Amino acid sequence: MVSGSSWLNDLGYAWLVVRAILFSLVGILLLVGFIVFRRWYRGRYFDRLSRRTLALRAQWPEILSGATSGTAWRLNSFDCRIVEDILLDSIQVCDEEQLPTFLICLRNSGLLDLRVRQARSAEGWEQRSALLALGRTRAPEAVPALVEALGSPSEETIVAAVRGLSRISSPQAAMPLLELFVSEQLNVPEHILKNALLNCCRRNPALLVPYLNSAQGRTRELIARVLGELANPSLGEDLLTLAADPLPEVRASAARALARVPPEISFPVLSILALDTEWFVRLRAVIALSTIEHHRKAYVLLRALCDLNRHVRQRAAWALARVHQGKEEILEKVVATRDNYALQAFLSELERDDSLDEALDGLGKVVNQAAGAADVEGVAAAVRKHFAGRGTVAAAMNDDLVEEESVMPDDFVLQYDLPGLERRGSLDSALDGRGNIVDRVPGATAVEDAAEVVTKYFIGLDKAGEGNRRQQ
Amino acid sequence: MILQFLQVSNDSLFVYYLLSNLINLALLIVAIYKNSLHRHRLAGVRMDSAASPFSPPISLLVPAHNEELGIVANVNSLLQLDYPELEVIVVNDGSRDKTLETLVKSFHMHRAPIVYISEIGTASVTAIYRSSAHPRLLVLDKESAGCKADAINAGINAATSPYVCVVDADSILEKDSLSRIMAGVMCDPERVVAVGGIVRILNGSKVEGAELKEVHLPRKHIELLQVIEYLRAFLVGREAWAGFNLLPIISGAFGIFRRDLVLKIKGFRADAVGEDFDLIVRLHRYLLDHDTEYHINFIPDPTCWTEAPSDYGSLARQRARWHKGLLDTLWATRDMLFRKRYGRVGWVILPYMWLFECLSPLLEVVGYTTMILAAVCGCLSHEFFLEFLLFGYAFATLISVGSVLLEEMNYRRYSRWREVALLLVYCLFEHLPYRQLTMLWRLRGMWEYLRGDVRWHELKRTGVSAQVEG
Repeated sequence: MVSGSSWLNDLGYAWLVVRAILFSLVGILLLVGFIVFRRWYRGRYFDRLSRRTLALRAQWPEILSGATSGTAWRLNSFDCRIVEDILLDSIQVCDEEQLPTFLICLRNSGLLDLRVRQARSAEGWEQRSALLALGRTRAPEAVPALVEALGSPSEETIVAAVRGLSRISSPQAAMPLLELFVSEQLNVPEHILKNALLNCCRRNPALLVPYLNSAQGRTRELIARVLGELANPSLGEDLLTLAADPLPEVRASAARALARVPPEISFPVLSILALDTEWFVRLRAVIALSTIEHHRKAYVLLRALCDLNRHVRQRAAWALARVHQGKEEILEKVVATRDNYALQAFLSELERDDSLDEALDGLGKVVNQAAGAADVEGVAAAVRKHFAGRGTVAAAMNDDLVEEESVMPDDFVLQYDLPGLERRGSLDSALDGRGNIVDRVPGATAVEDAAEVVTKYFIGLDKAGEGNRRQQ
Repeated sequence: MILQFLQVSNDSLFVYYLLSNLINLALLIVAIYKNSLHRHRLAGVRMDSAASPFSPPISLLVPAHNEELGIVANVNSLLQLDYPELEVIVVNDGSRDKTLETLVKSFHMHRAPIVYISEIGTASVTAIYRSSAHPRLLVLDKESAGCKADAINAGINAATSPYVCVVDADSILEKDSLSRIMAGVMCDPERVVAVGGIVRILNGSKVEGAELKEVHLPRKHIELLQVIEYLRAFLVGREAWAGFNLLPIISGAFGIFRRDLVLKIKGFRADAVGEDFDLIVRLHRYLLDHDTEYHINFIPDPTCWTEAPSDYGSLARQRARWHKGLLDTLWATRDMLFRKRYGRVGWVILPYMWLFECLSPLLEVVGYTTMILAAVCGCLSHEFFLEFLLFGYAFATLISVGSVLLEEMNYRRYSRWREVALLLVYCLFEHLPYRQLTMLWRLRGMWEYLRGDVRWHELKRTGVSAQVEG
């Protein structure tokens, strides 16, 4: 080494480099050696695993019935793991009738006790894998060990315990989860908790109701969301109460749940939720309405077709286009709304449903009146022309909507009617204005211009509405 | 005077190399630890059903420019992904071929009067198409603004989901990749704002109808070297940086973002050369400016397979463009450097990107030159010169072998003995002569950027489209 600044020379410049080279070369050799060894070892391991699995599978009926002595495989950790894997995989896909056979084998062989012990006394990954395995057993006696792990200081262990309880999928597993959650002592990602509650309360969703009633804020929203997925007709009354909840997320969940309740109970409530102040509640209500059968739902959907929110409009259009009878009449009423967006959304959905021609046939082939009306916009223009001057339809439709109010239950009218009327008043004026505004935008293809004008218009509306609310 | 300069230069280079290698070694160690954790965690994540009704909806954005040949197969494969709430938005970015016509015909699409609100300014969207066969499919036809970012922005405007996932039209996602990448969000949905997945090289693999049937290593040397390079970049670099919440980039080929935040930062910057890197740095800036707690995550097993350049010309252009993008973003965000407000981003990752990514080709060229000069002038012994080169080479090879180890331990996409042996052999060539070649290409990118040439040179792609159609 000829040169190098003094401080590097003092460090032993060349010495350092040579050491680094040696270190790197040794490192490379070690890594390569490790890769080769690991591949070789895994190859051998899987060969052995395959051989032993085959041997154990040959004795499977005896192992399951206990005819083969447990000591033959239970005291060999390799065989023990194979048998446990087969048992847990079988439990995962078996039905309720087959489950006891597998559970008896798990209990008699002591495998279940082994996992319970690991879940209680082991640490780290060993404990977490024991918790997950316990969950997969679906055994009721696994629940206490899993619940104990919910009190662990390690967040990952708690998550593993929640996942384990989720796999148990029984109300006994749900209750400790709910109790801890409602008392705000359970801090796990929402997604995991929701899935766990969904699995555990599937057979008995009513279990959620008392906890929902005592929960507040985000906890309440989460439980309501799960209930929304699991609701069944027996929960009708409880869901009606939720529909009047001050939290919009809860109202949206109620709307989702009401789709599974008999229409005579759900329809009046869904009609009100379809007028909610929050767009996602209205959307949920419209989706639920689209799934139920009720002779009056078309009127509510027509109103939703004129919603300020495009998702609500589109979904209402989707539902209306799939109404089995009376599409011509619906089309007539859509035109009567004088809402260009509503008309185009509906015609577009009719086209997607391949029923546009059928609906137009009923109106005397109006499409033929428009030269070159090959697309929805052309058809829309033709339809508008066809209905020009038929203002009586709009009046008839308003009458229908008023009549619709009369089917609402009294308690809901008390809560919703006055604000609902107020809201509807502003909605009507907004729609009138929107019709004018869209007409001022040349052609729907200038989507950006249209969007800009409409957005500005609605921003103005929102501000005006906010001002009105403040004055009140 | 010259000798003194050479000495100082050599010493600085020595320190630079030492530092660079130590950082890489630290990243490798962190990555080994994080990858092993991920393997264990996956067992639990798989227990959260992919079909859960609580999975948040995703809008998959596919910018397509002249993709007539492969677009149908690719859209079909995206529609078949295992994810319960999925919307696929293809943005036909002013294609001059029959991309739009092919889509309209194949998926029974028709114009739909959907309100398109241009929250992020883009080139004009001329029509929106919906499919009567696939309700989840939407096609936006827009005029080309000459950049992918503009097409993605249009897709973001039209998206209706809280999360948007950007995918290249010529890439293939594994069936469960969305469920896996969303595990990175769902572990902490309040904090996680973006997640990147791994991008792997498709060349050489067997593809049928945009579905990956068999994974094989490519045959060409240049493609094989890129496989090693990608493994090192993703499994070591991104995994380790994400561990410190310092992920500087999520690949434009596959990443998921919170839509509301992307809207707040006005989407992808249309005039950015490297729009993916630029977006992530701006996300860091926005969130730090607003004192928001956040995490930008990386999940190493949701895989996107993409075609890599298979000739030197295309690879040179790609690398030059990447380097222009790097320089462009770093220059645009230079005010974040060493600012207290930007914490670790301003003090660690951005200086690292400047010193060890952006300026590295320049420093390496200067370093090699001064070392040769010093050796010629006799102020550096030839032995030391060789030792120094050997040190740099051996250490960098160690990191590459480490990335193959990570692949072998955790993901094993290349399962045959021959393939692993081939990967290990090619680790020896990644740092001589491949690295020197990429250094020259990156220098070219730097030079072009400084001259103001930020044009997008189209890459020659040969394999995937043909395979997809076949």
